Amino acid sequence: MQGYIVFLVIFTAIYAVFGLGLNLQWGYTGLINFGHVAFMVLGAYTTVLLSLRGVPLIVATMVGAGVAALLGLLIGFATLRLRTDYLAIVTIGVSELLRLIALNEQWLTRGTFGIQRFPLPLANFIPTMSVRILMMAVLTLIVGMGYWRWWKWLRRQVKDIPSEALLKSAPTALGYVASLGILVFGIGAIAKHLKSSNAIPDWGLGLFLVAAFAIVIVSYHILTKRVSTKLSAWSSGLLLVCHFLLAALGLWIFGVSASAIYDYDQNPAKNGLMFVSVVTLALIFWGLERLVESPWGRILKAIREDEEVAKALGKNVFWYKLQSLMLGGAIAGIAGALYAWQLTTVFPKNFEPLVTFNAWTIVVLGGAGNNTGTLLGAAIFWAYEAITRFILEDIIPLNESQLNAFRIMVIGLLLMGLMVWRPQGILGKKEELTLGR
Amino acid sequence: MVDERSKGTEEADLSSPPLSPSPSPLPSLLSAKALSKNFGGIRVVDRASLDVRQGSITGLIGPNGAGKTTLFNLLSNFIRPNDGEVIFAGEPIQHLQPHQIAQRGLVRTFQVARVLSKLSVMENMLLAAQNQTGENFWNVWLRPGQSVREERHHRERASELLESVGLAHMAQAYAGALSGGQRKLLEMARALMVRPKLILLDEPAAGVNPTLINQICDHIIRWNQEGMTFLVIEHNMDVIMSLCDRVWVLAEGRNLASGTPAEVQHDPKVLEAYLGQ
Ligand SMILES: Nc1ncnc2c1ncn2[C@@H]1O[C@H](COP(=O)(O)OP(=O)(O)OP(=O)(O)O)[C@@H](O)[C@H]1O
Ligand SMILES: [Mg+2]
Repeated sequence: MQGYIVFLVIFTAIYAVFGLGLNLQWGYTGLINFGHVAFMVLGAYTTVLLSLRGVPLIVATMVGAGVAALLGLLIGFATLRLRTDYLAIVTIGVSELLRLIALNEQWLTRGTFGIQRFPLPLANFIPTMSVRILMMAVLTLIVGMGYWRWWKWLRRQVKDIPSEALLKSAPTALGYVASLGILVFGIGAIAKHLKSSNAIPDWGLGLFLVAAFAIVIVSYHILTKRVSTKLSAWSSGLLLVCHFLLAALGLWIFGVSASAIYDYDQNPAKNGLMFVSVVTLALIFWGLERLVESPWGRILKAIREDEEVAKALGKNVFWYKLQSLMLGGAIAGIAGALYAWQLTTVFPKNFEPLVTFNAWTIVVLGGAGNNTGTLLGAAIFWAYEAITRFILEDIIPLNESQLNAFRIMVIGLLLMGLMVWRPQGILGKKEELTLGR
Repeated sequence: MVDERSKGTEEADLSSPPLSPSPSPLPSLLSAKALSKNFGGIRVVDRASLDVRQGSITGLIGPNGAGKTTLFNLLSNFIRPNDGEVIFAGEPIQHLQPHQIAQRGLVRTFQVARVLSKLSVMENMLLAAQNQTGENFWNVWLRPGQSVREERHHRERASELLESVGLAHMAQAYAGALSGGQRKLLEMARALMVRPKLILLDEPAAGVNPTLINQICDHIIRWNQEGMTFLVIEHNMDVIMSLCDRVWVLAEGRNLASGTPAEVQHDPKVLEAYLGQ
């Protein structure tokens, strides 16, 4: 369990870093980058190859980020003066090109054999108890600051709602969520039992699942309508309850991660990588938040909205787009280094366009132009991954490859649903969509 | 609204007696010489020339499709001319990028007001300030204090400008929530925030209610008295008459006439261009 949670935390952090790079480019600057994985390939291979030649990891990573930024510079110079769609097309092309180079230039990348046994961060590091406590303190600090921001945000959301109304609606909301959870869990348990006992044919199990979920969804939909008209603060109560449950889940994950640091020597490579990824994510997040709130970030947002206006006000649009593309690329390069360390073997196959697609899913899910949203998007993405890997397998009457296709299909459906009901993303601001030019 | 002109700096009044058509001694701030632009074989601007004197409010009029907006685009280099020369503050500028021209103090506005609708009104204003320390990536890290101090200063000035165009109460609202007339006002205030030498206004009164038009004119006159030079495209002749020192008339991309508003208004060629089509 601990090992799996560590794995999840690492992947969430990597994808969050990766998504933050894309969010800077697309969410804040409006640059359409359909080949984000290209920056990741460069970051990953550069870091790994340099560190194999004895370059210290931190230097290798920085060089990797630099090379990725350089790619941003090249692509930017070639396309940013043209219409925006050129960037989209060129980035797709470049990302496939780089993957094919990695596949074919075997003298450099060993092609499909992959590169193995490269140095990993903190892998041979056996911390003393006091160092471990220090590491746990750092994690606690990061999580604590995250929770503090979260709490402040939540308080703003329910600021205008009288507390009696909240106190009234929250227990109902808790009951609602809990009963829904129990029902879904129950259906899952029955399905699992049916599947393992082979009591009914596959199509019967499928029918049972579809029917059961349809009934649950419809009845809870009706229930929601009923309750929301009766309780004035229903949606705020539901919001609070959901966030408290999520916060509790987060605390649990934090506890497991901290205990993994405590048992550091059980799996030094992974535990060390978890620490490194979380700290990297926190630093990059903090830096980006600071940047986008600065006059520098304001220019990016202006370019996203209307670059003619930015030009008319004396801003060098081309240069700022280039900076955004390069910085986002460098961040993806760092994500690439982390990714390589997590995989411990890098194959060209690890850098298929699907990785870019995942980054887009994360950014769109959380809400473009919102760094916190990207974090949330990454967390949801990996939670979904975990749930479908471990739970659906036992329940749904499909074999493994069918299940993989099914999972991606559901992501597509979810994204379509999101576009219909909440096109601004989970944390995006509704008002911003309805504003005309 | 078409009252006697009672504006103008005192020096201007002393040096050039009113109603005298003789060229004033004020130096020229912007002059365009024989600008031409073809769009797919059609000559939209044809050897048009224009001169804007330091401290003046100069008008640019002409029938619809005469090429006025295109001329603005050529002056600010948003569109590159096929031919011709633009001199601003004594230097040729047509080799410069649009943003460099704005940095030198020539700021244009748009015929259809363009605000950044997902930024707040205040952020729209703050964006326009020039030479901000925090606009440099490294300075965000190296000089945060200076950046914050400047920001406070810009915020104050932006508040004053918003106050003066009556948008102070909207400062925190999304700019996209403004009405058409308010957007025109915001765009004008934003142009002033740049602290330019010359502002090109493309139909500041279009689609604006008459009371607001009067307000806008008052503001333009006040800012002009504070030393700002304006070049104004406008179809509303009342506005032109009440604002401008000098008017240039464009028809089918060519210079048709120029002079004081009164002269131009009675010029038979101008009357023909407006009525005889
Ligand atoms: N990008 C373009 N491509 C092709 N033709 C253009 C373009 N921009 C303007 N034109 C043409 O140039 C002519 C002049 O347009 P312009 O917008 O400069 O007129 P205007 O004097 O500003 O008119 P109005 O008073 O209606 O705003 C029009 O006939 C228009 O169709
Ligand atoms: Mg026009």
